[in-house]
Amino acid sequence: MGAIQKEVVSFKGVDKIYNTGTVALSQLDLSIQEGEFISFLGPSGCGKSTALRMVAGLGEVTKGKVEVFGQNPKDLIRNSNDIAYVFQDSNLLPWRTVLDNVMLPLELRGSNKNTRKEIAMRVLEMVGLKDYLKSYPRQLSGGMKMRVSIARALAAKPKLLLMDEPFAALDEMTRQSLQMDLLNIWRKEHTTILFVTHNVYEAVYLSSKIAVMSARPGRLASLIDVDLPFPRDRVNRAFTEYVDLASQSLEHSLNRKELV
Amino acid sequence: MTSQTATTNRSKLVVESSITDKKKARGKVKGTIIGPIVALVIFLSLWQSIPIVFEIKPFILPKPTDVLQAAMDDWHLLWPAIQITVTESIIGFVISAIVGIGISILLASSRILEVSLYPYAVILQTIPVVAIAPIIVIWFGSGFNSIVIISFLIGFFPVVSNTLMGLNSVDKNMGDLFTLYNASKWQTMWKLRIPAAMPYMMSGLKISCTLAIVGAITGEFIAGIGGGRGGLGYAITVAAVQLKTPYLFACAIAGAIFGIGFYLLVSSVSKFMLKSWHESAMKVEK
Repeated sequence: MGAIQKEVVSFKGVDKIYNTGTVALSQLDLSIQEGEFISFLGPSGCGKSTALRMVAGLGEVTKGKVEVFGQNPKDLIRNSNDIAYVFQDSNLLPWRTVLDNVMLPLELRGSNKNTRKEIAMRVLEMVGLKDYLKSYPRQLSGGMKMRVSIARALAAKPKLLLMDEPFAALDEMTRQSLQMDLLNIWRKEHTTILFVTHNVYEAVYLSSKIAVMSARPGRLASLIDVDLPFPRDRVNRAFTEYVDLASQSLEHSLNRKELV
Repeated sequence: MTSQTATTNRSKLVVESSITDKKKARGKVKGTIIGPIVALVIFLSLWQSIPIVFEIKPFILPKPTDVLQAAMDDWHLLWPAIQITVTESIIGFVISAIVGIGISILLASSRILEVSLYPYAVILQTIPVVAIAPIIVIWFGSGFNSIVIISFLIGFFPVVSNTLMGLNSVDKNMGDLFTLYNASKWQTMWKLRIPAAMPYMMSGLKISCTLAIVGAITGEFIAGIGGGRGGLGYAITVAAVQLKTPYLFACAIAGAIFGIGFYLLVSSVSKFMLKSWHESAMKVEK
């Protein structure tokens, strides 16, 4: 913190209206700086996943502009490995082993075989799955699959890691251990992370900044800087205060919607 | 820590459950083998006794023993006929698999091609091949070639429709993943769409392998003798004309046994290909 920071992602007046007429996002303005861990927190239908998909170049804006490293996301993914995406389900290819799944991004980008394996081993070690190289996804638990998925995302050395409710389907124990590991990875790899969640505790535990979203139409309700040192203590009073703050802002955005 | 204990617990559970599964499986295997055998014995004894009790002539309904006798007496005719039909069906099947999968990949790789050609593929599928078989005989002459072509035509469409369905039913998120890593069209085809379509492809092949035999025998009905030697279909027509009903039964049963064998072969290939990952093949692995 403190040093001059580079802008990684910028939303400028972004609207997203689906063909069905649903307004997923309305007038979203947001700037995300290098090295941040920002969470999009909001109820379902607030367009947080839509926003994330746009950053990955997987969705079009209806109006406005999304830029990543000053470029159009679609151009960026065409030319670089800067963006990685972790899907809600682990999204592993069931016919590939753990190792082959992790090597996939490198394989598609055409790097040589030895480098691929070396990198894959490194990231698998980082997520603690070095002993499962030859396993198939169906032999792994939900938490382990998610670890493989994270390893796959890290394999291409992204500068920006997008995560769409990656831990939503996991049990509490597994989720906590993955959250802890994710924070370590974030610190070690110096990536910027955009994390979508509907879990207030998760957002406060992980993020340096929380973007609270309101639903229908999806818009930014408030931006909270979480100024707590890592690793965070979940029972600490300051932690609880942030949870309250985020919850209030979430509720406020819901109430406002009902009034309108 | 937590994840470690979780994994050890998990592996213990897996070991325990696999032991009980084995015991259960053994019991099940006994049941699944004995049941059908008993049913078969009852069926055969009924079949054996009905012609005796009702005094039915062997050329109307031969007893199983008559059929067996006919098969042994005319083995020198039956065996070459089987060989010919087997050859024709396998060649027909292999061609329909290669051409079918090839055409599906081609159609799936271009939206325009698929949209414009698939409706006709469906229409072609509804044409009863038996109805156009005489035309094939006119074009390709009677015998081996025509029979293989008829067998190929019957087996071809199930492969195409199944493979195409598989190639087009790729999970959306996986597609996004490939987009995100800027995968080329052919990378997506080889590394995502074709593997994802495998289970569909395999079920198409399983349908088409039995149809290929139907095609070969039907082809022999129509295109008759090939190179002076006829297959099972030809033998059946001749036996029917000569009222050699027991021999006709023997031919039909030989065809059925080949059909079962061929089907089992193709499904075990399918299981082998999918065993590491697909649900349909996993139960067997246990």
